[in-house]
Amino acid sequence: MKVKRSWTQQRDAKNARMEKVSSLLNGKFAKTEDAKEILERLIEPNDKVVIEGDNQKQADFLSRTLANVDPERVHDLHMIISSISRPEHLDIFDKGIASKIDFAYSGAQSTRVSQMISSGRMKVGAIHTYLELFGRLFIDLIPNVVLVAAEKADRNGNLYTGFNTEETPTIVESAAFKNGIVIVQANEIVDQVPRVDIPGDQIDVIIPADKPYELEPLFTRDPQNITEIQILMAMMAIRGIYEKHNVQSLNHGVGFNTSAIELLLPTYGEKLGLKGKICRNWELNPTPTLIPAIESGWVESIHSFGGEVGMEKYIAARPDIFFVGKDGSMRSNRALGQVAGQYAIDMFIGSTLQIDKYGNSSTVTAGRVPGFGGAPNMGSNPTGRRHSTPAWQAMKTTDNPLDKGQKLVVQMVETFGANKQPVFVDKLDAVDVQKEINMENAPIMIYSEDTTHIVTEEGIAYLYKTDSMAERQAAIEAIAGVTPVGLRSNASQLQDLRNRGIVALPEDLGVHRGEAKRSLLAAQNMSDLVKWSDGLYNPPAKFRSWS
Amino acid sequence: MGEFWMFPGQGYQHAGMLQNVPRNLIDKVYDLTGIELTDTDEAYQDSIQIQLGILTLQIYQVNRLKKAGINPQIVGGHSLGVFGAAYAAENLRCEDAIRIVYQRAKLMQNAYHDGYGMGVVVGLSRTQVEQLVAQVDSPTEPVFASNQNSAVQIALSGKLTAIQKVIELAKKNGAQTAKLIKVPVPSHSLLMKNVAQILSADLQKIQIVPSQIRYLTNYSGMVTQSVDDIRYDLGNNLVHPVYWEQMTDVALEFSPDLIVEFSPGHAFSKLIKTKSDIRTFAIDDYGIEDSLFLLEKWKRG
Amino acid sequence: MEKLNYKFDTQEEVKEPVHVGVVASGDLEVLVYPTTDPQTTVEIVTGSDGFGEVWKNVLDRFFARYPLHADFKINDFGATPGVVNLRLAQAMEEIKHGE
Repeated sequence: MKVKRSWTQQRDAKNARMEKVSSLLNGKFAKTEDAKEILERLIEPNDKVVIEGDNQKQADFLSRTLANVDPERVHDLHMIISSISRPEHLDIFDKGIASKIDFAYSGAQSTRVSQMISSGRMKVGAIHTYLELFGRLFIDLIPNVVLVAAEKADRNGNLYTGFNTEETPTIVESAAFKNGIVIVQANEIVDQVPRVDIPGDQIDVIIPADKPYELEPLFTRDPQNITEIQILMAMMAIRGIYEKHNVQSLNHGVGFNTSAIELLLPTYGEKLGLKGKICRNWELNPTPTLIPAIESGWVESIHSFGGEVGMEKYIAARPDIFFVGKDGSMRSNRALGQVAGQYAIDMFIGSTLQIDKYGNSSTVTAGRVPGFGGAPNMGSNPTGRRHSTPAWQAMKTTDNPLDKGQKLVVQMVETFGANKQPVFVDKLDAVDVQKEINMENAPIMIYSEDTTHIVTEEGIAYLYKTDSMAERQAAIEAIAGVTPVGLRSNASQLQDLRNRGIVALPEDLGVHRGEAKRSLLAAQNMSDLVKWSDGLYNPPAKFRSWS
Repeated sequence: MGEFWMFPGQGYQHAGMLQNVPRNLIDKVYDLTGIELTDTDEAYQDSIQIQLGILTLQIYQVNRLKKAGINPQIVGGHSLGVFGAAYAAENLRCEDAIRIVYQRAKLMQNAYHDGYGMGVVVGLSRTQVEQLVAQVDSPTEPVFASNQNSAVQIALSGKLTAIQKVIELAKKNGAQTAKLIKVPVPSHSLLMKNVAQILSADLQKIQIVPSQIRYLTNYSGMVTQSVDDIRYDLGNNLVHPVYWEQMTDVALEFSPDLIVEFSPGHAFSKLIKTKSDIRTFAIDDYGIEDSLFLLEKWKRG
Repeated sequence: MEKLNYKFDTQEEVKEPVHVGVVASGDLEVLVYPTTDPQTTVEIVTGSDGFGEVWKNVLDRFFARYPLHADFKINDFGATPGVVNLRLAQAMEEIKHGE
């Protein structure tokens, strides 16, 4: 039987809400000083509200404003924030303006997030990967109001998000076509935007920000801080994984381990004759340590999730490599980048804080809930993948005609980390944290079944070659050094695993430890990176102590 | 974003530390408590002289910085340091701070005579230390894992014989250091319940003033601006571990652009430097005059 | 500051002295001297106290894999076990390369 109802209830409700602010708007434009009043009139208790808190770009004018609204008028919001990055994201909960959250990452606020969950001040729907959270914006977390940041807006409401587009289009899309309200903070109002990243008809309210949005240089690593042990691991990875499996397309996690690899390509990699043969197509934020490899002709293409402070001019001058608009600035896109990183690359390589004896890894430590971000998307085997590449095929271990390849998922760690605490442990801290904050799933970053290789300063474990959990454990023990896990391995076990190609030591790979010197890096410091870039790279102030 | 001010408790007091403190502040302490601060090694054998001495020094330094227009965004005190912190956050008036610390010191001095105290274990996690404590703790030999100064620096509080047993176990289980420390009471454990009850009752009579400055609590490691939370912390931090590691981690999440450790000592600025590259210094590193010069220079940019 | 001493029964004679590593925070230097003693001796001077057990484990593993016969002197400035192992292995490579 057909139901009798109005099919435009949501649209009517949105129109009614917009009516409440009409006196404060000139077209789509509001005054900076009216921001608080606008949020108080447009947001209703129990609304689902997205604040654009990306990895780098922050809608911080709007989040500061939301943290100051009257909790009598606006309360019990259900926040959806991909990256909880700013103190005021949590002040919103302290003041009772919001009570529930769904998020992906909270690295910069992980202690306070953990405290607020434990104390019950913040109810967590779930902790997601980026793609899951973006996906749910279109399924069961469709927002009522979204608060996003743009660099420029024009008179028609068209937005320019440029270099730092990140997830703005994804968030806007989830509200604009489903009766949600789209509120934008803009650094600048101009007559015409340099290019249209988001069309004006998707936008409801534009408020000039009190100051330009916050931007964090998250992916910059100073080559000065790369150690010889990281260089040794990088050499092993290049020989024992990149070269061995013919890795063409890849993502590098953020850290000094992978920066070391980037800086060895033009030196060590070139000496091995690998230029043009490996590492051609990248899904990667524009990390400065890749400049020497780009300049020496290693790289064909780079697509990016977000921008990186200081790389703007360099990228504008290299449109053959990066994704650049006609206006000359890069276009980033986190959602599409994550899809590419999950489905279209040969390899993900990253680092972690703990690996258990089975090979599960986690970045959760006691008292901290940092969430996941994008690593589990890229650091997992996409069983839906159907296209083939040499590296993918190289992971096949049987002759079975129905057997399929696998993505390479590589963890690269020193056996002991900060405070000289072992990285290899019998039980992950994540298991205790799961109990502490009462989560349904233990917060594992990358599961053992997805992990194909582990690299330590001792050697490489080729986990994909193992055919039982016992053998997988033995392979991990063999490269876990003198951690409690590693001490279970003995010389004869190691010899057997080496003979069968399941474990390789540096000497098995033709890697000389004595060669692992800082002089092998294509750039020793930030100033070298600037030189490689012909002066186009402009490091942020906190990295400029050399000048 | 602003400044994070850290206030240490007992441990680094030394003769002569009050030499710059003006006479009128020393006199104020005398008028309120009848205690003459003598600032000598001999005096610092006495818990009342130590606690009032440190508080007075911190009040003086806070006054100097504020007079120069320098203010914190967030404050945290360790144990006794909570009173200096609450004063700096403008939650607690000078006179009330002096009176309540005098009361606290007296109560603590009379709480235990022999056989109780504290220890410290370095190199094991809290979970590991708690497991060792559970093997020893009993009604006749109580011992607790108490203050968490860093991920691998955990204090012990309780009966000395029990602490000694945990120390032996810790050494066998891979601790780098495990030893008794010179504190004559089992602070920051349930053994201080009676002291906390009396102190809390006294605090009910004192006005705690709301402020825009954020205050880090010892008992939960959380940041707060609630007068009830602050009152609870001032009165009851003695029965809870000081979650110093969590307090500083939370402070760092506010991205302060400067971290200042008030006197005496510089133990906490050293700890911070192991995990953050934010500009951090202890007033004891430079003395009050040079510290003020630097702070004003950095403030100008 | 702590001084640690260990002895090992090893067979592979070292003929030339070798020096690897650096004197820097988080690092260490290893000096290897040929010896006529029946046992290999390792003398460690370290700034980080309380890691005797970890040192023993690192050395046990190293000499099980590479039974070099020599006198080892190690000056440690807070290196992780991974760095210790790297420096020892670099000394081993240099000794074998020298042959």
